[in-house]
Amino acid sequence: MATESSRESTAWMLALDDRLRAAVGEHELIHLIEAPTLLEVPLSPYYCQRVILWNDLLLPAMDLAAWLWGREQPAQQERKLAGVVAYQPRMGAAEYGALLLSDIPTRARVSDTQACKLPEQPTGWRDLAISCFLDTETPVPILDLPLIFSGGLL
Amino acid sequence: MSQPVRNTLAELREIRALAKLTLGGYPWLLPQTEIKSLESPLDIDREVRAPQGIGAIALGGEWWPVYCLSGELRLLPQPPDSRRICALLDNGADRFGLLCDQVEALAEPPRLLALPACMGSPASPIQALAPLDEELGCVTNTEHLAALLAVLTEGAGGH
Repeated sequence: MATESSRESTAWMLALDDRLRAAVGEHELIHLIEAPTLLEVPLSPYYCQRVILWNDLLLPAMDLAAWLWGREQPAQQERKLAGVVAYQPRMGAAEYGALLLSDIPTRARVSDTQACKLPEQPTGWRDLAISCFLDTETPVPILDLPLIFSGGLL
Repeated sequence: MSQPVRNTLAELREIRALAKLTLGGYPWLLPQTEIKSLESPLDIDREVRAPQGIGAIALGGEWWPVYCLSGELRLLPQPPDSRRICALLDNGADRFGLLCDQVEALAEPPRLLALPACMGSPASPIQALAPLDEELGCVTNTEHLAALLAVLTEGAGGH
């Protein structure tokens, strides 16, 4: 996220549930959907059981809190927000997905000096995150969106 | 058993007519050409049973094993009361009956979209998704359902 000149950039801080926070780059979060209409897909994994129809696209609605805690979250129904994210699995081919959120994302300036180790718990962070930074003494993992949305969690 | 052929979205979009088979409230979409006949559940002979089937229907001098699947394609040993019609499926290689809540022809071909990569393995029987009015149809075909039934009946027989 940092540029060579400034070594500082902007991130979106995401509330995955009431305890878990993560971040994506400024240009990775492109839209916020309040009270999204979620359509159920049978045979799908417990952490991604629904899709959202958005701009003629079907976006997988990823519940990363469920994946990190290892079970479907009973509070999922209360999360009324979905953040639409863009990622680039290959050069020149932007793709989209949605993350279920429990609160409105906030912006933060992040510099390289804030780099830190991933949280030890939940252990799944090491699979989801490409790096991590400290925000007011709390480690905030930065999500690996191409891995998350291209089947890396299956 | 070999893996069923996985059609591309372009190939699926060439299917002229799809039928909606409702299973436990979930709409499953199959090529209409693969529906040989619609029969009453009253015609199911419960004494003629394939493994994990619920009976069989006689048609054209042959017995067609009949299965009952949940909306998420799990075998149900006892059909729910909502299952009111039996679709006999035939693709030339696989032939069986599926007990459904409802079967209807879609007047227009729906828009087909790919199943997101993070939602299913390549072996998933869902070949594509189709937004319908207030719901989401899952596109599959007789070959995929037959492969799934083979796995399910083998698994159930092993216990």
